[in-house]
Amino acid sequence: MKSHRSHTQFVRSRFVVLPLLTALLAACAAPPPAAAPSAPAAEATKPAAAAPTAVPTKITAPPLSEKFTYWGGLIFSDVANKMIEARIKQWGKEKGIEVEVVMINQNETQQKVAAAVEAGSMPDALDMGTGLMQLLSKNGQLEGLDDTFKAIGDAHGGWLDSAGKSVDPAKYGGKVYGVPFGLSGNLINRRDDLLAAAGFADGPKTWEELGQMAEKINAPPKVYGMAFALSNVGDGNLTELMLQTWGGRIADDAGKKCTIDSAETRAFLEWITGRYKAGLFPPGATTWDGAGDNKAYQAGQAGFIANPGSVYLNLKANDPELLKASKYSGMPAGPKMKLQPYGPNVRAIPSTSRFKEQAKDLLMYLADKQFMADYYMNAIYGPVLKDQIDAPVFKESVVHMGLLDVAQNGTPPSFPDVDNPAKAEFSSNFLVPKMIQRIVVDNNSIDDAVKETQGACQAIYDKYK
Amino acid sequence: MAKSLAPSPPLSRLSLRVRTSVLGYALVAPVALCLLALVFYPFVFAVWISFTDREIGKVGEFVGLANFRYLAGLPSFRKTIVNTIVLVGSVQALKLVFGLGIALLLNQGIRLRQFWRGLILLPWAMPSFVAYLTWQLLYAPQGGAFNIIAVGLGFNNIDFLSKDLAMPSVILATFWRGFPFWVISFLAALQAVPQELYEAAAIDGASAWQRFLNITVPGIRHVVLVVVLLSTIWTTNGFENVWLLTQGGPSDATMTFPVLAYFGLQTLRIGEASAVSVAMLPVFTMLALVGVKLLERGQE
Repeated sequence: MKSHRSHTQFVRSRFVVLPLLTALLAACAAPPPAAAPSAPAAEATKPAAAAPTAVPTKITAPPLSEKFTYWGGLIFSDVANKMIEARIKQWGKEKGIEVEVVMINQNETQQKVAAAVEAGSMPDALDMGTGLMQLLSKNGQLEGLDDTFKAIGDAHGGWLDSAGKSVDPAKYGGKVYGVPFGLSGNLINRRDDLLAAAGFADGPKTWEELGQMAEKINAPPKVYGMAFALSNVGDGNLTELMLQTWGGRIADDAGKKCTIDSAETRAFLEWITGRYKAGLFPPGATTWDGAGDNKAYQAGQAGFIANPGSVYLNLKANDPELLKASKYSGMPAGPKMKLQPYGPNVRAIPSTSRFKEQAKDLLMYLADKQFMADYYMNAIYGPVLKDQIDAPVFKESVVHMGLLDVAQNGTPPSFPDVDNPAKAEFSSNFLVPKMIQRIVVDNNSIDDAVKETQGACQAIYDKYK
Repeated sequence: MAKSLAPSPPLSRLSLRVRTSVLGYALVAPVALCLLALVFYPFVFAVWISFTDREIGKVGEFVGLANFRYLAGLPSFRKTIVNTIVLVGSVQALKLVFGLGIALLLNQGIRLRQFWRGLILLPWAMPSFVAYLTWQLLYAPQGGAFNIIAVGLGFNNIDFLSKDLAMPSVILATFWRGFPFWVISFLAALQAVPQELYEAAAIDGASAWQRFLNITVPGIRHVVLVVVLLSTIWTTNGFENVWLLTQGGPSDATMTFPVLAYFGLQTLRIGEASAVSVAMLPVFTMLALVGVKLLERGQE
């Protein structure tokens, strides 16, 4: 009897213990590994006669059982998103190819791509920023697109310098790995009605001036002068650019040694934390998500924000009064320099794509002049090709005129720092906004915050030596 | 010689035991295989890549403890350990107290009992991202519901996600989202405690507190242990609660292991990201061992 009871106890306890241990293992487990990237395509699925030129003359339709998949990057304009989707489907229809277009949140592209590469389920073509392009091409995950890039440039009067530099083979692994389709750029949006009432007719020329103007219109809790994100999101990295305009640098010219610990960095921190302590930033700016500044401005509670145009589009559709009260200008200068970086958006083809020639053909199709002119009308991008400059939107819309200026006169991403994977990781860790948080949130001294950031930065750069 | 004199078990009984064993193993085999493939292999793989410099799209090389050394040197990592302990400890304590209290209440013959039981489940039934986005709107410094009420009552605007309040705010939202699971589990356990025991204790003159301590607690102890262990693991691995409310800020005030791992994944360095997850392993192992020990002791 005793042995029966102990056996029952044993079994019962295992019934409880087993799920616990299973949960424990599952808790610490990562997703299953990807099989090594499979051999590209079975011979049968390859184009019968892969065109050696950039403009495939014949597209071999893939078997009906397999779809051509495209991952488009969602932007703040539904119309623009639908246009891209419709255009790609139209291409599929014309070529007799079954196409699936998946529009994905651009804030999640990196994570989705990471999972897809590991799972061996990358799409046949996709949109991305040059940061991700750099990381993926380094590991051989992207197809070289030199021929397509050249062919599209030749067909459209050439690439703008900014677009060309964005995918320069000399900087990014010896090949062109992405075909640019739009340049993003931040513009300063300002409440002209409030500023005019305070005696300011023009936009700020320098950050110092912006701070002074913000102070004049600051009236919390109704309006906060400077609604710039200081949180761990992409918008928070605007502070990196500010730091650079003060003469601060993330790393040296070789892109190897961190140089955050400098007098210029300290001067910048004195300025920005002084503005924070003066109450010019809205509460919550240190924890905002990517839309925090947009929401504050659209609610009429911000004097200045930096935005690539989504707020303008929103106001145009929903708040004509605030739209009328708003004006736009380029990035102000710091004590040492003025920077107006452009953010290239590219279309790329994964090296695992089953339909590389078809994908190249699609990239040609999407670069059509008339389509892009219509697309830019609804999207918030600057042009990349010379024949796109004449599109009506770049003469009619004040924000698009600003984006055209960014495309023609802007500075490359990361400049004056070297745009390398270490810099990309530094930015992904939001170390400059975190350095500011250490001072305004934790009340650390500027010295301590700088030293901590210098250490964290060097630890990142050391990994890439 | 002695061996040959020893009585051997009857053949038929032995073969029955063997047959039973074989059948048992055969029945368990599919589950064991599934566990090996879906749980054990990914687990071992995650541990392995935490010792490599693996990046997305690149097979890594063994780097020993380099990833862990790098993590240990991060100022965020030290804060992450403290934050995770504070978050999980506080949330679990709240869930235990309120979960048990509400379950005891719902176990009584109160009016509209079924309605309240259904209502209690709502936070658990809601998709977590919807729940936490709603909390984000409630906490918003400008235009947030809590601040509208606070200002309406004559108080100043409160920044619920500031350094001092961010962690309590995340704790409250996480507790709200998770406590129904505790209530329902405890309620099910309470209903399994024989009513006669309470009646006998009442006849013997036991007070309500004595009945709770000597009948209720032993009666539901196993369920409590399992719920605490499972919920601790889930809460430690919770991502949306922190990400949607604070992204780990301000200044790492709410940085937890899953959020730190997510930042690691953004740079496609999965060796490092995996090291963050694996760093939690000793804690989980300890929890599981303690749980198993307590369960076994209870059964003895």
